[in-house]
Amino acid sequence: MGEIVIGILLILLSALIYFNSGDFPQLNETHLDPGSYPKLLALLLFLLSLILVIKSSVNLLKSKTSLFDSGIKDFLKKQWKEYKLVVYSLVILGLYILLLNVLGFIISSIAFIIAAGLLIGPKKKKDLITISIVSFVVTFGVYFFFENVLYVRFPNGIFF
Amino acid sequence: MLDLMLLGISEIFQIHILIVIFLGVIAGILAGLIPGFTVTMAIVLTLPLTFGMEPVTGVATMIGVLVGGMSGGLITATLLGIPGTPSAVATTFDAFPMARKGKAGKALSIGIWASFLSSIISFFILISIAPQIANLALEFGPWEMFSLIVAALTIIASVTGESILKGLIGGVFGLLIATVGADPISGITRFTFDLDVLRAGIPFLVVLIGMFAISRLFDSVERTELDRDIKQKQEDKIQGIKFVLKPKETLISVIRKPVNLIRSSVIGAIIGAIPGAGGSIANLIAYDQAKKWSKESDKFGTGHEEGVVASEAGNNSTVGGDLIPTIALGIPGSAVTAVLLSALMVHGLNPGPLLITNEPNIVGGIFIAFLVASFFMLISQFLGIRYFVKVTEIQTHILFPLIMLLCVVGTFVLNNRITDIYLLFIIGIVGYLFTKYKIALAPIIIGVILGPIAEVNLRRAFMSDPEWTLFLTRPISVTFLILAVVSILFTIWQSRKSSSR
Repeated sequence: MGEIVIGILLILLSALIYFNSGDFPQLNETHLDPGSYPKLLALLLFLLSLILVIKSSVNLLKSKTSLFDSGIKDFLKKQWKEYKLVVYSLVILGLYILLLNVLGFIISSIAFIIAAGLLIGPKKKKDLITISIVSFVVTFGVYFFFENVLYVRFPNGIFF
Repeated sequence: MLDLMLLGISEIFQIHILIVIFLGVIAGILAGLIPGFTVTMAIVLTLPLTFGMEPVTGVATMIGVLVGGMSGGLITATLLGIPGTPSAVATTFDAFPMARKGKAGKALSIGIWASFLSSIISFFILISIAPQIANLALEFGPWEMFSLIVAALTIIASVTGESILKGLIGGVFGLLIATVGADPISGITRFTFDLDVLRAGIPFLVVLIGMFAISRLFDSVERTELDRDIKQKQEDKIQGIKFVLKPKETLISVIRKPVNLIRSSVIGAIIGAIPGAGGSIANLIAYDQAKKWSKESDKFGTGHEEGVVASEAGNNSTVGGDLIPTIALGIPGSAVTAVLLSALMVHGLNPGPLLITNEPNIVGGIFIAFLVASFFMLISQFLGIRYFVKVTEIQTHILFPLIMLLCVVGTFVLNNRITDIYLLFIIGIVGYLFTKYKIALAPIIIGVILGPIAEVNLRRAFMSDPEWTLFLTRPISVTFLILAVVSILFTIWQSRKSSSR
């Protein structure tokens, strides 16, 4: 199933690349312009993905047993249990990245470490203390190391 | 040859460089022994730290991580029976039974000696072969370079992952990622779709961190992975295992059977030199061969010393083998050496056949750093193993946010651009989905790093002569292309054969 979806997405990608490769300005009389090599790759990717889609469709039709044998609701429930934390941690990471510019490196990093640690691990008081200490030490350690040794400027955010 | 070595010695033997190599080795060992944290991840995350260093220092640090990491997997493989890295799978076969019999210390020290001695053997293979190949490659025109990249990518695609189709898809996908941004010959921006994020192209390091670190982290918080991790940590309280290392006695017992050691090291070096095949494959093949040739092959799997020697010698000597195409041709054989090459590029050095001629101090430095790192690995393993073991007790919920933070920081440090972090997020998701559907990541990475080189050489070839058949009439070029076709056909034939059984 998933393979077919990925294959179709890749086919769309190759079409996108192919049809965007035609209108680059020509600088000189060369035999290959900036668009030819990507076009070649797009064609290759198209062919390979097409084979993948066909192959997986054939396999899917051949195998009689469907994924949804025990009811679609049950299937989704199992999937959700398995991938719940992946989705949540994706959301937390996304928020962290978005807030980095607003809250600044230090505040958002500390918040991120604590949030992710509590999300994945146990949520007792002792764990909260451990992860908080870890987050402070690591965030400030990274901050001072990169600012003073490698001269990196981290985003400071609106508070400083 | 000797000049290279002397140059290397004068570059490397400075206190600050020796210290960073040492730190690199320790970081590598730690990364190798934490299950779920791979050597590739460690080396990817070391790269941003080396931006501010001199090129030699930076590359030497990464060599340290690499050598340390290859030997780190041994510790968890012996004590817990789980490979800390994929390249220690065969090590568990005999080292773990030995530990169960109460000979954990012996297994560990045999493994450490085998790692060290095989590194030294592969060092000599490296320094004697790499310059010859580079000399040969100096004759290469753009046709040969392009065909070589085609061959390298198809071999990688056929060796890694479950199907060659997916491997090839990964390779082409990587090549396409590399076309975003400025065109390497005329500088025209391509495929930015008017997004600011894409204007400067997709930096290699972002792809690396996203594909190898972020996607692996997401993998580790899946329910089944998490449960397994917690279970393992409860089952095996490693601090309960007492072991005594006997460096002298075990050295003698390893050296007494030189054939096994040398055979496994040579196998490892050869497999390491093949693009795509790395420590994980060498580890298994060396073990398998040792079993086949041994007089006591029935003892393998029950805690036999030869098995530990073969598997550890096999995976550690891949480092030297892996460096051969990397240094001599500028073609990385694995994700790890791809990172090494990108470190050179960050410092403005051009990897390729000319590297040895143009930058002898760098190449000599890499050689000597490899040798020095092997010694440091030996020393720190014997002295520090008791403390290293403690690291495996760190739990996923603490490790996950910390490594995530390092990924984000590492990406930011590259160009001081927040937009790179947005790219990282997207690439991480793509990488995660790809691993879920078993599209191997190594071909993608190698595709990204070789993409611009492939395009430049292809277009140069057509600029100097528009005749495309030159790819097929120049002997070296056509050999590479035949090699590519053969590797595809062979893999298809092999998978047909195994599925019909």
